[in-house]
Amino acid sequence: MGAVWAEVKENRQVGEGVFRLALGAPAIAQKARPGQFVMLRVAHGNDPLLARPFSIHGAAGDELLILYKVVGRGTRILSQVRPGETLQLWGPLGRGFDLSGDQPLLVAGGMGLAPLAFAARWLRDHGRQAAFCAGLPGLAGWEELTRGLEAELAGSVALAWSSEDGSLGRRGLVTELLAEALAAAPGSKGGVLACGPMPMLKAVARVCEQHGAACQVSLEAPMACGLGACLGCAIPAAGGGYLRACQEGPVLAAAAVDWERI
Amino acid sequence: MSQTVDMAVTVGATRPLRLKNPVIAASGTFGYGLEYGAQLDLAALGGFVTKGVSLKPRDGNPPPRICETAAGMLNAIGLANVGLEVFLGEKLPKLRRLDTAVVVNLYGEAVEEFAELARRLSAAGGVAALELNVSCPNVKAGGMAFGCAPGPVGEITAAVRAASDLPVWVKLTPNVTDPVGIARAAEAAGADAVCLINTLLGMAIDARRKRPRLANVYGGLSGPAIKPVALRMVHQVSRAIAIPVVGLGGIVSGEDAAEFLLAGAAAVQVGTANFLDPAACVRVAAELEVFCAGQGIGAVSELVGGLAA
Repeated sequence: MGAVWAEVKENRQVGEGVFRLALGAPAIAQKARPGQFVMLRVAHGNDPLLARPFSIHGAAGDELLILYKVVGRGTRILSQVRPGETLQLWGPLGRGFDLSGDQPLLVAGGMGLAPLAFAARWLRDHGRQAAFCAGLPGLAGWEELTRGLEAELAGSVALAWSSEDGSLGRRGLVTELLAEALAAAPGSKGGVLACGPMPMLKAVARVCEQHGAACQVSLEAPMACGLGACLGCAIPAAGGGYLRACQEGPVLAAAAVDWERI
Repeated sequence: MSQTVDMAVTVGATRPLRLKNPVIAASGTFGYGLEYGAQLDLAALGGFVTKGVSLKPRDGNPPPRICETAAGMLNAIGLANVGLEVFLGEKLPKLRRLDTAVVVNLYGEAVEEFAELARRLSAAGGVAALELNVSCPNVKAGGMAFGCAPGPVGEITAAVRAASDLPVWVKLTPNVTDPVGIARAAEAAGADAVCLINTLLGMAIDARRKRPRLANVYGGLSGPAIKPVALRMVHQVSRAIAIPVVGLGGIVSGEDAAEFLLAGAAAVQVGTANFLDPAACVRVAAELEVFCAGQGIGAVSELVGGLAA
């Protein structure tokens, strides 16, 4: 009921402007599923005023993990919070990934790693096979995260990297890895699960459509309540109108989204 | 602090609406109430006001629809709602079972639409009061255009008054030079209460991209940033009319609520605070009770209009 106060267990820089936050939030951690999110207030008081939506990066026992990048005032304030302090949050919220498909293909761009690493670990923990294509600008600043993910998923989820500068895996965009993977396994029965910047998701949706692969995308939008009430997080829907990122999403079938109006 | 405080209030005299406590969740911040059912005990609220309902469903404005500002936020949702048919068929049956006052906010693009909404909502049963939205800053037709002059406000209020026996509350815009004149028009036309303030028309700009932050360019400012403006208008209007004022604008704490009651509000609404804390309304009511007990006040209604001269 309502928001909970959670103790900050860890809030550590793990990459270039990227932090990993661990919160003691047992009720949320136990219910969290990959692709869901929480609303988190980065400070007490009235400024900044609104909570921010953060995708859930993992849940281990009583701890909830959030991987975030400093992009504005709120995340800058969050990055200065110390272990032992408390933050207010509510969740888990929204519809996560449908992980029931056989051998799904996970596609992450940049901070899209946050929810998809959770999905990959979940698949591993359930003894399921999956492939994971992840694209970054380059290795610089991402060493700890890429090494950590490789170690976690070794022997279970096949991980392939791409980077724009060629310093990690193959040079180019992650959509090229995706197109090759889909060409090698036509129809990719388990479907594609994607998260990343909007232009990337648009391209992923297009590639999947060309290959006849089902595609789920995790979208973000400005959001005030996370509960379906404020109607701030409108995503243009295929066929007109809007979907709420917090209720019908944040994970939506790519076919349900009107990419032209985004 | 062991003293018990009578938290009940009554809004209006001719068609009185009794509330368990003076804290009501404000329209546009509380969905149809059901969205918050897992977040708080809806029966602990004084009441709530639904998202504005129109005759036909509305998609709302293109995104981005909201943005944060200093101690506040702008919104330009554009009255997205499910429309009257779905409201009556799918929402209201669930709302009728709740042990709290359900106030329905309604919005029309013409006087006759307000009257028809009022007629059908009254006939449906289970609605505690109607709140007329003549003050939405984010739609082109109707909305604030109606609410900026006494004439149209009086006309709409009179039409709804004739169409319904429910208490009629008129939600007024602060984006006018003379809120008193408009409140008087609502009163003269048979309103049971006026609610103020709706959001202040505002704008935010992304200087680096040289673009407005909202797709609608302008939006309504809410949150703690507007509380002083709201208090002033509640004070100004409540002294000028005989019907009660329901006060809102930036309330996040029980003491904020007490300030509005002192300024002359008979009850308060909590809006943006629901976004900072999904259980804000229950917390505000509890804090208000503690405040009263701490001040030796036996009934919260004693605060109403109790500002020292």
